[in-house]
Amino acid sequence: MKKPLVAVTLAAAAVPMLIGVAALPRPGDPTAPAHTHVAAHYIEAGARETGADNRVTAVLLNYRAFDTFGEVLVIFAALAAVIAVRSPATPGGRADDMPGPGPGLPISPVVAFIIRLTAPFIALFGAFVIFRGHVSPGGGFQGGVILGALLVLLSLVLGRGAERPLLAVPLARWLQAAAPLAFTGVGLLGLALTGALLGYPAEPERHALRELMMITLDVGIGIGGAMIILGLFLEMRGD
Amino acid sequence: MSHWLPLAAFVPLVAGALTPAMARGRPGLARGWALAVTAFCTFATAALTRRVALEGPFSYAMGAWAAPLGIELRFDEFSAASLFICVIMLLVLVYSGPYVRRALPATRIDWYYSLLLINLGGMIGFVITGDLFNLFVFMELVAVSSYALVAVGGGRTAALAAFKYLVAGAVSSVLILFCIGVLHALTGSLNMADVARRLATVESRPPVLLALAGLTAGFLVKAGLFPVHVWLPDAHAIAPSPINAVSSALVVKLGIIGLLRIFPLFAAAGAVSLAPLFEALAWLGAISVLAGAFFALFQEDIKLMLAYSTISNIGYIVLGLGLAGELALTGAGVHILNHALIKATLFLAAGAMIHQSGHRTLHDLRGIGRAMPWTTLALLIGALSIVGLPPTAGFPGKWYIALGALESGRPGFAVVVLVGALIIFIYFARMLNAFYFRAPSHKEMLGVSEAPASMLGPVLLLGALCVLGGLLTHWPVALIAPAVGRLAGGE
Amino acid sequence: MDDLWGNIDYAAFVGLFCIGLYVVVAKQNLIKKLLGLNIMETAVFAFIVTSGMVDGGTAPIIGPGATGPFASPLPHALIVTGIVVAVSITALALSLIVEIYRQCGTLEADELKGAE
Repeated sequence: MKKPLVAVTLAAAAVPMLIGVAALPRPGDPTAPAHTHVAAHYIEAGARETGADNRVTAVLLNYRAFDTFGEVLVIFAALAAVIAVRSPATPGGRADDMPGPGPGLPISPVVAFIIRLTAPFIALFGAFVIFRGHVSPGGGFQGGVILGALLVLLSLVLGRGAERPLLAVPLARWLQAAAPLAFTGVGLLGLALTGALLGYPAEPERHALRELMMITLDVGIGIGGAMIILGLFLEMRGD
Repeated sequence: MSHWLPLAAFVPLVAGALTPAMARGRPGLARGWALAVTAFCTFATAALTRRVALEGPFSYAMGAWAAPLGIELRFDEFSAASLFICVIMLLVLVYSGPYVRRALPATRIDWYYSLLLINLGGMIGFVITGDLFNLFVFMELVAVSSYALVAVGGGRTAALAAFKYLVAGAVSSVLILFCIGVLHALTGSLNMADVARRLATVESRPPVLLALAGLTAGFLVKAGLFPVHVWLPDAHAIAPSPINAVSSALVVKLGIIGLLRIFPLFAAAGAVSLAPLFEALAWLGAISVLAGAFFALFQEDIKLMLAYSTISNIGYIVLGLGLAGELALTGAGVHILNHALIKATLFLAAGAMIHQSGHRTLHDLRGIGRAMPWTTLALLIGALSIVGLPPTAGFPGKWYIALGALESGRPGFAVVVLVGALIIFIYFARMLNAFYFRAPSHKEMLGVSEAPASMLGPVLLLGALCVLGGLLTHWPVALIAPAVGRLAGGE
Repeated sequence: MDDLWGNIDYAAFVGLFCIGLYVVVAKQNLIKKLLGLNIMETAVFAFIVTSGMVDGGTAPIIGPGATGPFASPLPHALIVTGIVVAVSITALALSLIVEIYRQCGTLEADELKGAE
């Protein structure tokens, strides 16, 4: 784009934005509407209504679970999109592809040893982040990313490419859809128990069930996220 | 509470995620599955549309959380667009069967159907949600799947067109998200009705103006209005033909529906007046009508020509919004729906011609009227509709917009409507001439046969709907009348 | 001007946003454009998270014994969603870039215009 046009575009964006944000409530002001309206209710009543100490998780999995449902589908759509754009025109492979790091790229034995040594601990940490998401920082997405990174590392070390994936392809396809499946199960259970899709039972004697439903969502999101990250990696490495 | 409402968006999304797992390597099964799910959505949205016609708008609280706390789904008269979305998607899926078998690599077909279902669920969710951030999430679902579907056919420029589309779409999405953040900082809420109520008491003017301007600009980019249309022609001309039908007929309309969703937020706000914005929209729309039609004149490639005509027609709709009288808004609302039918007809018919003959310019397609008489007939009905001749579906929208311009004392805009239609008539005449009256440029053109029944059927059905849409205009007009009244009365 | 000084955090994010916008519109290389897009996204995420901050506040994890004030949990939840969306867009854009490079042999927008 021409330089004057760039300058005009930037000015057209910057000036109104600066004037606009200058008149917003000061960040950190406890009397600002962002703290006194919906957020105040989440903080004050969140534990009673959702059972989650971590209010971010309460919002993600309970109050605004439908957003999270859309979000897991966005990342699934990204996987579907990458495969649809990148998958070879013929089932045989990409003969005309540019040379990339092939599956046989040697990995230093030191790196391989360290990764194998730390793998169980990374897996444990990922699982901890997923399962403790409702009472401490963490949750399905964060844990899923940790597990996904582990899977990527392991496929590097074990020299597995798209031809010999860590998991059989049919199983991987189902696991990639784990998060929408978990939402379907929890959503329909909620429909049966409370009469609203993605509802959670509120009676005190069903609190254990409510916690189980939220953990199911977290685990589904975690497994699905990890598998999608692995799938993206395998599609993009260009072998 | 009616559970059809959340399920209409929930089911296609989950089904889309399950398609590759269920139908791996079996394209027939993937298509059957997608058809079944879309048929369910058509049924669900038809039931919802019937209910909104009888009882007026209704809501559904997701997870039983009351409105500002949780996400509210709201089905109003404009949400009835979801029924059109489902019907067109159903026909596109029928049409896709023989098309993708030839046009797409076999390994991509199950992912193609998966992305189409996610696209469908995203569009339905977008038109039924009553929550600002939820709107953003569904918008991104539609966006990600659309970017990929543009490039799914492969080919030299497809990835580049998709990338351009992605950059334009992502920049506008970021802008929209920023403005949603501003509104949240001002009101502490994300529910549309709640934000509208709380904005009425907000005193500081600049942030409200910023949010209004940013959201409008973002949605106009999504709608592909001139001069922010640069991503549109390539993306709409290079994608596979069924995808053209979806993106040109439906996806760009989401930008317009987004505008219809955000204007009521600011209607009650004392800090800003919408009138200057509407004035600007009317001018932008008028420029877009003429510019789109003008560029379309110079296209030889039939798909590019249709892509530019989309820009022109989005201009009509924005002009109708900008005039903001009841008649003009009725025209805009009707044209949103009818243009979807017309553009789907045109792209699917043109796609069938390109699929059967292997040619895509007017020059190369000469004489095809004799080889593919039915497809050509449907294409010409679609072209007549896009000109806006009565009694076809393109007429009522433009008629109401012109009446609205006269009603608000702006005869200049009525002239623009007329001139736009005249320019479009010229390219209609060019098509007619090329298809029927010129000797074929290629001898083998006369040997070309009609497309298979599952491609021809949807094309003919859509052609028939183009005529029916013109004859039965009073239905959509009566349906959207209350919503139009609310919009026009709210200023 | 006093207002802008009080909201200096927001002004900084507007600056970041404009840097990203500049990269998107002025740079020719497609990967740089994508980086610019990510800068814009980060600016908006930071803006929204900051709007949920409260003076002296801590993270909204309210177990037994936790004392306020607490930051608003809503922006955090929104931005988790936003980040996932941004990651998805980035993944798709990178795969498109790989395809473009494979087919055209260049990633400069002006050279690609000639290749079309």
